[in-house]
Amino acid sequence: MKSRQRSHGTFEQTRAPLLFLAPNLIIFSLFIILPAIMGLRMSFFDWSILDGSKYIGFKNFRDILADSMFWLTLKNTLIYVVAVVPLLSISALALALPLAGEGKGMGVFRAIYYVPTMLSMIIVGIAWRWLLGYDLGIINYAIRLAGGKAVSWLTDGTMANISLIFVTVWTRVGYFMMMFIGGLQAIPKTYYEAAEMDGAGRFTRLRRITIPLLKPIILVVVVLSTIEAFKAYELIFVMTQGGPGTSTKFLVQYIYQAAFEEDRMGYGAAMSVILLVIIGIFTAIQFGARREEYTNE
Amino acid sequence: MRKKKIASMMVLLLLAVALGSLWAQPKTTLTVLWFNDANESDVFMATMADYQQDHPNVTIDMQVIPFKDYENKLRLMIAGGNPPDVARLASAHVPLFANSLEPLSGKPVFDELAKGYFASSLALGQDDNGRVMVMPTEATANGMIVNKTYFKNAGIDVDKLSQTWTWDQWVDAMKKVLKANPKAKYGITVDFSTHRFSTFLYEAGGRFLSSDGKSMNFNTPETLDALKFFKMLHDEALAPKSVWMGSENPQELFQSGLVACHVGGSWLINAYSRNIKDFEWGVVRMPSRKINSSVPGGKFVGTFKNSPNKKEALDLIAVFSDKAHNEQYCRDTFNLSARKDANITYASRSKDFAVFTEDLNLTPAYTADDWKSDVVAKLNSYAREQIVEGLLGKQTMEQTAANIQAKGNSYFK
Repeated sequence: MKSRQRSHGTFEQTRAPLLFLAPNLIIFSLFIILPAIMGLRMSFFDWSILDGSKYIGFKNFRDILADSMFWLTLKNTLIYVVAVVPLLSISALALALPLAGEGKGMGVFRAIYYVPTMLSMIIVGIAWRWLLGYDLGIINYAIRLAGGKAVSWLTDGTMANISLIFVTVWTRVGYFMMMFIGGLQAIPKTYYEAAEMDGAGRFTRLRRITIPLLKPIILVVVVLSTIEAFKAYELIFVMTQGGPGTSTKFLVQYIYQAAFEEDRMGYGAAMSVILLVIIGIFTAIQFGARREEYTNE
Repeated sequence: MRKKKIASMMVLLLLAVALGSLWAQPKTTLTVLWFNDANESDVFMATMADYQQDHPNVTIDMQVIPFKDYENKLRLMIAGGNPPDVARLASAHVPLFANSLEPLSGKPVFDELAKGYFASSLALGQDDNGRVMVMPTEATANGMIVNKTYFKNAGIDVDKLSQTWTWDQWVDAMKKVLKANPKAKYGITVDFSTHRFSTFLYEAGGRFLSSDGKSMNFNTPETLDALKFFKMLHDEALAPKSVWMGSENPQELFQSGLVACHVGGSWLINAYSRNIKDFEWGVVRMPSRKINSSVPGGKFVGTFKNSPNKKEALDLIAVFSDKAHNEQYCRDTFNLSARKDANITYASRSKDFAVFTEDLNLTPAYTADDWKSDVVAKLNSYAREQIVEGLLGKQTMEQTAANIQAKGNSYFK
């Protein structure tokens, strides 16, 4: 009879990796997992910060489905996500393509595009609010000086949404550009040389070599920007406070309003759970699409 | 022998230190949570300098939080069982935190102090049972500040006209003012807040809550009159869209000379005194509609049931609320006093403060009942959004009134 041989690894192979992971695991559990579980529990309660809580089952979720403000803010959020994610991904790639090379001054340009990423969203929001104000804004002042008519950048619902999308892309494009640059620099130059010898033009090289080899990075950029766009709050609140009216009021602002201004923490938590599920579905679809491509390849 | 001497001296020294620490009064650090409209935290510390001299065992730890984060910070501190010893509160905060505040009624020193304060100011600091929960530090009122230079250029004596003017007369006057002053683009700007809008509501004879405070009374012809008048101001370009439909600061619009009148709070006197140098300005009586009204408001200080140093906190609040300290604080912060016996000579602008007080004296008492209700406090953002939806024409003002009424009533269930 053959006895089963148990392999005992060394300390470095078995326990050391766990010890290295432990601090991050503890922090992640304490500040992400535990609050998430508490939030999930809270969503089944009529929960007030000051007046205590009462278990109400799925009532919060039923009320949310009948809440017109929830559907309005969800619609506004989806429009924002659908506009921001492709624009941000394409702009970041468009900037990364010329800046991925090793030419002179590339570092300076990369830094210029990356700087807005380092600014706080609050600062970005305040600055753009000053620029885009209807009566006192600098851009409208310049337009009036040139004899033109002031534009309702933030006082018209559609223009306010367009302005928010533009500012979001402006402030985040540098971050995703750097991710693309990393991906582009990892593609071996020999592929391009071989393609050039075969007579492939610039567009063909982009379509046949760059895009296919960048797919993992594109997936990361799309997933991260989708999650960011769903969670957008500070920039929007500082620039428009969700207005005019409810034109730029997104789901996260409504969650905040319900939880903290109306003291309906349970209701806010239930909306957060729904938002988590929506983001999860979008992310799963994106990963699923990528997996399908791998299988086909 | 020498060793023995040193040892006994050491023992004596240790004993002296131990006894000294027993006899010394324990040190207390009072946490004071504050938000600033202008320089109030500094003035508070200066006002309480004599208190600190008289109480060397008490240290004041002043924590200033931006107003937009204040309510949340305080909520979380209370929910976490760690409330501050003393907190500055706006009138809208009082109903929200009433259950956590330490009642001041029933404590002889505060019952005596309360006699010296205006009833309307005290009312804003009371809970549903009529108990005083917080002491008023200053009174505020909504009113109209005008660019007097613009009125002069149009040949209008605004001080005289405003003694009896109605909103219709204001509209007529404004057409002349805008014609005579090409730099002025708009007649009026109103702060982007439900509280400031409510000045129009009360003047039209409307109100938020029913007289028993148990349901909404917003969807009425009086409210509709106020809402439609407010929309007319925006539609006729008498008011800039960039404040209620954008995010521009009405204070900056008035200071820049783009707007002739500003409906704001009495605290603006302080800011405008510092910032406006190139035109003459002043406070005038609010034009009347159905009635004359302002909106009472104020700031308060209170302590909490779970505050760690409640005894010292109550002592500090009592001293801060006496006549001398209240007068000093209101004078140096450029605010109206909530004390009936206050006799304050401001460095300037005493006349403007008097106009705000006149408007406040005409204000019906039920306005305070509205603003001390937690329902109105919770309704704030929603009401503002709904009014803007009406201004944009996305819904009728009838729909706006109905929506606000329904939302408010949902909080009573």
